[in-house]
This record gives sequence, C-alpha cells and structure tokens, in this order.
Amino acid sequence: MKISCLQENLSRGLAVAGRAVATRATLPVTQNVLLSADQGMLRLSATNLEIAITTWIGAMVEEEGAVTVPARLLTEFVGSLGSDRIDLDMEEGSRLLQIKSGRAEANINGTDPGEFPPIPTVAAQEAIVFQADPRMLRLAIDQVDFAAAREESRPVLTGVNVRLSEGAFTMASADGFRLAVRNGTLQQSGDEITVIIPARTMTELGRMLGDNQEPVQIMLTPQKGQLMFRVRGQDTVELVSQLLQGTFPNYDQLIPQSYTTRAILGLKDILQATRTASIFARDGSNIVRMQMQPVDNGQGQSGKLVVSASSQEVGEFQQELDILELEGEEGKIAFNSRYLTDVLTEIKGEKVAIETTTSSNPGVFKPVSESANDDYVHVVMPMFVQW
Amino acid sequence: MKHIIHADLDAFYAAVEQLDNPELLGKPVLVGGRPENRGVVATASYEARQFGVRSAMPMRTAVRNCPQGIVIAPRFTRYREMSRRVMDIFRSFTELVEPLSLDEAYLDISAAVNQAEGRWPLGVALELKRRVKDETGLTVSVGVSVSKSVSKIASDLDKPDGLVVVPPGDEPGFLAPLPVGKLWGIGPKTAERLKSEGIDTIGILAAQPPDWFARVFGQRAESVRQRAVGLDDEPVHTERVTKSVSSETTFPNDLSDRAELRRVLEALADGVAGSLERKGLQGRTVTVKMRLADFATFSRQTTLPAPSSDAAPIRETAWRLLAAELTPGRSFRLLGVGVSNFAEANAVRQLSLWEYGLTTEAAKSADDN
Repeated sequence: MKISCLQENLSRGLAVAGRAVATRATLPVTQNVLLSADQGMLRLSATNLEIAITTWIGAMVEEEGAVTVPARLLTEFVGSLGSDRIDLDMEEGSRLLQIKSGRAEANINGTDPGEFPPIPTVAAQEAIVFQADPRMLRLAIDQVDFAAAREESRPVLTGVNVRLSEGAFTMASADGFRLAVRNGTLQQSGDEITVIIPARTMTELGRMLGDNQEPVQIMLTPQKGQLMFRVRGQDTVELVSQLLQGTFPNYDQLIPQSYTTRAILGLKDILQATRTASIFARDGSNIVRMQMQPVDNGQGQSGKLVVSASSQEVGEFQQELDILELEGEEGKIAFNSRYLTDVLTEIKGEKVAIETTTSSNPGVFKPVSESANDDYVHVVMPMFVQW
Repeated sequence: MKHIIHADLDAFYAAVEQLDNPELLGKPVLVGGRPENRGVVATASYEARQFGVRSAMPMRTAVRNCPQGIVIAPRFTRYREMSRRVMDIFRSFTELVEPLSLDEAYLDISAAVNQAEGRWPLGVALELKRRVKDETGLTVSVGVSVSKSVSKIASDLDKPDGLVVVPPGDEPGFLAPLPVGKLWGIGPKTAERLKSEGIDTIGILAAQPPDWFARVFGQRAESVRQRAVGLDDEPVHTERVTKSVSSETTFPNDLSDRAELRRVLEALADGVAGSLERKGLQGRTVTVKMRLADFATFSRQTTLPAPSSDAAPIRETAWRLLAAELTPGRSFRLLGVGVSNFAEANAVRQLSLWEYGLTTEAAKSADDN
C-alpha cells in the first residue's frame, strides 16, 4: 500500500470515522480504524458493532492495499503533525504501516483487515431511498433524541420511532415520562415505512450533519434490519446502523387534545427562570413549580407565571414572569427541572406555548411561530407534589 | 366494647366512571381490559351485574352475556384520587382507619360513639354514608357491629347503598342463617366439603362440638369456632405494611419452551400489576423467582427507573431477567414474579406517561361506545 494525502484531510477523516470506534473493547480490533485505497481515494472505516461509519478523503493512490491500526494512536499522531503532505506506506505482506510527514516518521503495528468485522453497507438498488434537507433533519434530531430512554428496560424506547412517507417524516421518542414528536418534510420519498432507529445513531447523525446543506440520503433494507445515512458535505460519509426490533407504543393517545390553561411565554425568560429554579431544586427532588394566574387588566388576556423551587436544607426561590397571552383558567403544575430545561433548550423561536389541564395531567410544550417548519409537540408528565 | 364499621364502596371503578360521565348513568358499564386483548372485568356496574357479569370474569364472556355493556379501560390515577377523598372522609370520623384496598376499609368508631349524648353507632354510620354521598357522589355499603368479621359480612348483605347494623349480643343469631362460605377463612373448597357433611349455614357450623372443629380445622379450629359465633376482637390496624406483592405458579409438568415460559411469566406480571393497582402501590424492584426441575430455587431482581404499577415495564423487566437464565435443556417447575420497594403513597413522585395513556384510552373507548 502506498498512499499520499494531506494532513488536514486525514485528520478530518479520522475525527469522523473515530465516532464509531469502540470505546470498550469486547472485540479489541474494533478499537482500530480500517484504512484502504478505494477508487483513487483513501477510505476510513470504523465500527463498534452497533453503528459503522465510513468516509472517503482525497488522496493519491500509487499502490492499493488495506490495513487496520489503533484508531486513537493514529488520530493523536496525525493530529500532532503540521499541515503537510502525509505518505502512508506498507510493504506487500507486511503489517507495519510507515507514516512520513516532513521529517517525522512513525511505524505503527497494524492488523490484517480480514480480522476486522465486515463494514455493513446498504445497496441502493435493493433499498427504499428517501432524501431530506440536512438542516431540517438536524433540527428534528435535536428536538427528539434527548427524550429517548437511556436505560434499557424497554429496548424500543431507547430508539426514535421514524415514519417516512410521501414527502414527510415524523420522529417520535418517549422515555415513559415525556414524549417528543417532530414532523418534517422530505425532498424525495420511497414507499411509506416506519422504523425504530437507536437514539444514539440519531445523535451521531445530528453531529455529523453539522452545517451541511447537501441533501442527505436515507436508505433502508428493513428485511435486513439496517439503515444507512449518506451525508455529502466536504467528504461523503456513510453511517450504517442496526434498527431496533419491536413495537413502539402508540403515542397519539399520549398527546392531550385539549387544555384548560394555555400560556404563551417569552422563551428566553422562561428558560432563564427555569435554569435558576433548577439550582434550588437540585437538593429537593428536582421539582420546579409553575403557577399561572390571570391578571385582570381590563382586557383579561394576560397573566403572570410564578416559577418556584425549594429544598428544606438550601432555601427557596421564586420568580414572576409576564405571560404574553393567557387563555383559560389559572393553573398549577410541577415538573422535573431537567425535563423542563431539556425541552425549553430545544424549542426554536421567540415564544413557547405551555398547555395544561390539571396538576396530574401532562403539560404540552409547543413552539409559537408562523413557520410551517416548526411542527413540534413535546409532552411532559408532571411530578406529583403536595401544593 | 368496640364499635367497628366495614365500609365498602359500591361497584367503585364503574361508579367513578358513571360519576365522571353522566351519560353512563343507568347503563351497564364494564371496567377492565378490552375483550380482544383477553382482558378481564375489574368492576361491573350494578346494571351489568343483572346480566350475570362478575369481577374477574373474562371480558369476552362479559360482553357475550351483556352485549350492550360499555367497556371502559380503568383509570387508576382517578380511582386513587377518589379513594383518597373517601378515606379522608373516613379519617374525619376516626383516626383508626384500616384501608383494605382502594374501595374498602375498616373504621374503629368507638371514640365517636357516645350513647349518653345520643351518638349511636347507627347515627355515625348514617352520617358517614351521607357525607360520602354528598362530598363525592359515591354510595357506600356499611356494616356495623362490635367486630371486624361481623361488620364485613354485614356490609355485603344489603348492597348497593346498604346499611346493616348488628347490635351487640345479636351476632350469633345474625350469623346463624347465613351460608358458611360467608365466614372469613372458609373458602369455596372448604364450603363445599362442609356442605357435603350437611353443614351449610354458619349456625349449624357453630353448633358442632369442639373436637369436630379440631379434626376439620386443625390449628385454626378455635379461631374459626369463635368467628362462627361472632367472637372476634381483632383490632383495626391503621398501618398495614405491605412489603411486596408477588404471584407464583407451579407447573403440572416442567416447562422449557421459551414462548410458553414467557406467556406464563407475563400472565404473572399482569396479575401482580393488577394487585398493585388495587392496593394503590407502586414498586421499584422487580423479582423473578425460579425453581428448576432439580428443585434448585433462586431469584433474580432488578430496579425500575421509577416506581410503577404498570403491567408493561413489569412484564418486560421480568422477561429480561428470566430470558437471561434460559439455557438449552433447562426446565422450570415454578415461576414467580414479585414487586417490592414501594414508593410512599403521598410521596413526591414523577408521574408516568403510560399511566396517563390508560386514561386517554379509557376516554377513547367511552367515545367509541
């Protein structure tokens, strides 16, 4: 193998593929990255057996070949080099990879690529293919992935339920205490299909999308239980993930269809008040209380919100906020502070609507904007407290 | 002398549904799991009971007996809330309240009774019934006597909206004509056996000689004999601490089939979830008990993310524990599922989305009907 490339390209490629390198070594070779010459480019692949990431960087291939080397060692070494040309060289039959850059030279012990787990791929001709705008996809991922369950007692809940249909997608996640549902549009559609994608895969995809603007391809082979995202930015990146098997709960009935109190608040104000309250809630079961009260100013349209938190040892906090528009009766409800900050951090725009019925029924959070691009509902179950 | 009330809300779950949705008033209401999901009846309204529908009957059978029945999924959050309100009313009469489930309690009203001032047990019972009706809209059947076991039998005799007072000293006469099966501690099988000996009423039972009792009931002989004549000085326990709820089953033949084991385990988990709901408890620790063909017995347990009484997490967690123990050739004599580590009833807790889902499912099925 004899390949030359630029330090910055290799470093970028290693950072991308490195996201799939196993951190715990059940299979030691999965801590390696697979380097191979592929159609005049250098291909970098890694897998932790849940996901696999492959990326290609521009290179000059003089002699084909492949090898796997410890990912962390290579990444740190390449990162320490100056911005210069890098020559990778490995003699036929040898497993010692020589890396030269300027006057620096390293020799790294590699292993036979045959020992590397096969990197799965999804072939376009046997897959259902969809195409989406990366900005919309990333926003949707940011708004749902955090609501998926972290613990594994119900495996399907560690995933994001994704329905792809004619021109539209719906992503939903729920951990038993909250539910996030985001609708969006697709640029190109195949046959309608619903799959459960591990939330970790979605988080990784969101990170990978960055500020890309090129359409993302979503390719599924449901009978094989896999899907692949092909992201085209500076480099092409393929992310292949296993799908979760099972049935996602029917979540439509978990979204309240009516409310007795609806308050529209300035997003920045409520987020800031919630964050401050969280500091005081930390020692007291993380409870943040909200009381919405109408204020009679002749028009009967506005009100105030009192956000409060207390703990016996630390003390207490309370803050009043103006409600921009209040519909319905006064209401009070208590939430886990983390669930509140999580959703308020991800809602976009200037305002947020909070809808409640009773203090033991879910609160509904929605963005308030004219944009059709903002089709998001977040449902949070309250905490049962003595008022 | 003590004065004890046994209070039992009439067709509680169904009554709450009728209260919340007046369109259901006067109609046969079946609260429970849906027939297509092999659900069972948790409570049937009195209108439905006329068609022979009983609690614990498969919903499929219930719907066959009573096709006009309106099937409603239970809303336990709401029942717990109503139960709390009723228990609070009970506690305003006496601090000595022993809840048996969401809809049933013993009250020691001795302190509230003052016959010199005209406060008779009957008056207290009437006021209790009136206040429950006025403040919650529910009817309660009440039995009053000097003992728990007699009051419990009395409350059942005049349902719904019943009131039966057994004056002190009248207990043997009150019990005598009743079937033996009414007596606490005499199950259907014992009742059958007694009947075959010609003993079908409590009076005939009470007349048996002591050595007969000793032969038939062994160690329990004396307590059964005393209860048969209405003697029972069991106090009202205000704190009945349940530490775990569990259910187990021994198989007629050892089981090794994965699917079959899973089916059995899930049925056990559903049963445990049901009793947790009835007791108003939510537990954090799920335990699976296993006994192998060679009688080796062991258990595995794990903790849920939050206290629960929902069937789904208990089922899935129990199955995960059992699945890890399944190895080829291993067969099981016994399986058990238990839930423990309960959250305090009024403690601050995070409410569950799935529990809320049950309530909206209930609302939806009410709309469908």
